[in-house]
Amino acid sequence: MKNILKRLKKTNCLSYYSFWIIIFLYFLALFADFIAPYPYNQQFREYPLCPPVKIHFFDQNKKFHLKPFIYEIKLVNPALNQYEIVKDKIYPVYFFVKGEKRKIFGLFNSTIYLFGTKEGKIFLFGTDMHGRDIFSRILYGARISLSIGIIGVSISFFLGFLIGGISGYFGGKIDNILMRIVEVFMMFPAFYLMLSLRAIFPLNLSSFQIYLLIVVILSLIGWAGLARIIRGMVLSIKEEEYVLAARALGIPTFKIIFRHIIPNTFSYSITAITLSIPGYILGESTLSLLGLGIQEPYPSWGNMLSVCIGNLRILTEAPWMLIPGFFIFLTIICFNFLGDGLRDVLDPKNW
Amino acid sequence: MFLTQKTGKMEKILTVRNIFVGNKEVKILRNINFEIKKREILSIVGESGCGKSMTLRTIIKLLPKNLKILKGEIYFEDIKITEYNEIGKIRGKKIGMIFQEPSSYLNPLFTIGNQIEEAIKNNIKKIEKKEKIMKILQEIGLSPDVYYSYPHQLSGGMQQRAMIAMALINNPDLLLADEPTTALDVTTAFGIIKLLKNLVSIYNLSIIFVTHDISLAKYISDKIIVMYAGIIVEKGDAYSIYNNPLHPYTQKLINCLPEKYNKREKIKTIEGEVPSFKNLPSGCPFSPRCEYKMKICEEKIPGEINVENRTVRCFKYGNTVES
Repeated sequence: MKNILKRLKKTNCLSYYSFWIIIFLYFLALFADFIAPYPYNQQFREYPLCPPVKIHFFDQNKKFHLKPFIYEIKLVNPALNQYEIVKDKIYPVYFFVKGEKRKIFGLFNSTIYLFGTKEGKIFLFGTDMHGRDIFSRILYGARISLSIGIIGVSISFFLGFLIGGISGYFGGKIDNILMRIVEVFMMFPAFYLMLSLRAIFPLNLSSFQIYLLIVVILSLIGWAGLARIIRGMVLSIKEEEYVLAARALGIPTFKIIFRHIIPNTFSYSITAITLSIPGYILGESTLSLLGLGIQEPYPSWGNMLSVCIGNLRILTEAPWMLIPGFFIFLTIICFNFLGDGLRDVLDPKNW
Repeated sequence: MFLTQKTGKMEKILTVRNIFVGNKEVKILRNINFEIKKREILSIVGESGCGKSMTLRTIIKLLPKNLKILKGEIYFEDIKITEYNEIGKIRGKKIGMIFQEPSSYLNPLFTIGNQIEEAIKNNIKKIEKKEKIMKILQEIGLSPDVYYSYPHQLSGGMQQRAMIAMALINNPDLLLADEPTTALDVTTAFGIIKLLKNLVSIYNLSIIFVTHDISLAKYISDKIIVMYAGIIVEKGDAYSIYNNPLHPYTQKLINCLPEKYNKREKIKTIEGEVPSFKNLPSGCPFSPRCEYKMKICEEKIPGEINVENRTVRCFKYGNTVES
């Protein structure tokens, strides 16, 4: 692992930093309870559509404060959501500040959070129309959006490798049957398949059930095309001499498939995996956008964005509502760069 | 092992009897008969497309999908391989195999150590496995660093040695060598040959060695089998076959060796080509290229005739007809 990172840094700097950005995003998602200044569902009714609050070091008189601080904000026009910064009062930002009781990892209670203010509200990315802190919601939403990609990809790649591998290696009747099943899955346009699969299940599920459902739906859509490609690659790789050599050594068939044939498809599949993770994040967003995914008040990057769609006023007056979109973009592009770099690095011939 | 040494009796390790391989359209191997004893090296010689490699692959049941064993039986020790379903237990454990082009027969994605380790059949701890691999690498003449190298980092000779290590890691009784030196340069090839010869006594091994080069076969082996178009045309001990070839094909093969000629002399070749398996001549397959061709040669396939303690298939030495 360490070696891979070293080589990644040497050969492809961009993908090396992408890797750390992804790790950082996952870190944020994991410790969202601790980092987020507010719970994802806490509504500050007096601050709807509040713009991002700036953190200052210099006050009005150009005096430097060692502790960063924020100004108080005040809603002046509730109809138009106009805010005014009150500059005579400053609220310093504290680290490891005490706040309201919250559960961390759903296990134990904590009252200490990474940062916050004792008075005043710190909305780093502003608030939505219900007055919920977007920064906190992005952190909590990352849990869903980022894990759906990883879990969905692992399920569909497991299926793809298993079915593609068996189909390609054994050929004949097995191949024929499995490939016809794959074709049934590929026949439906992915989007409608997704909708119809979702429509089979009731709408009033708990959010965790919905989450699992989305993962399963997305991976059921993803595996078919992959199985097809893996099958094709296995068909050509199984004729390679080293597979014959492995058979001559008496290595069992399944070990040959998974140790000798599948790893040789990695030059393609590593890239495909990293390239398809964004697809899952977007797929979740699509479902949430249509109101079929994660339901309010639980945040996901997709359903946070869905509020903005079709609401021109938000787009023009509260562009900070689009920040979740930036995070989707960042994740996707980082995964793409990482996949690109990994493909080069994991090939032993480039070492 | 001690028993055999004490009594001096050479026990048979592999017996191939009346093997026919092919499918409905073609017959690749016809009536192959031979046996190999413990600590013996047997060479199979012939031009390309004579069925030498197929013979090896028949023994280990690694035939291409469209070919089948049609008739005959193969015994390995007490096991009847032709009717044995758990061939996986024999492959690699009792019979090892090495191949022509080591670079393509090693998986490019794993280190040599990794690949050898995978071949180990006994359930032993990882550290013991590594010790075992290090020991065999040393015996085979590779440095311990090879354990951590990838196939593409090694030279052809080293790769072939690694293949041999992989084939021998389970102490097999029989090694099938499918032209192991063809892809190597002469000096490296010589190293491999010497190594194989040494391994016979270290590992108590029998080797079936397939090669194009009859002089190499004479150097390495105790017995030689000469094959042509899927049949064994001559078999016997190496020295006498090389010095006194009986079958016209063997004679011509030996006549093609460059060392038999003076500096500016033109080297003779065998006219014509090996017939393709799809349209074999109805009689002796060598008859179209044979200068001693008689009428019977074009009509019937000669049977096995014992002449001077070896077996020849040629009507020159008798009128036995293949049934």
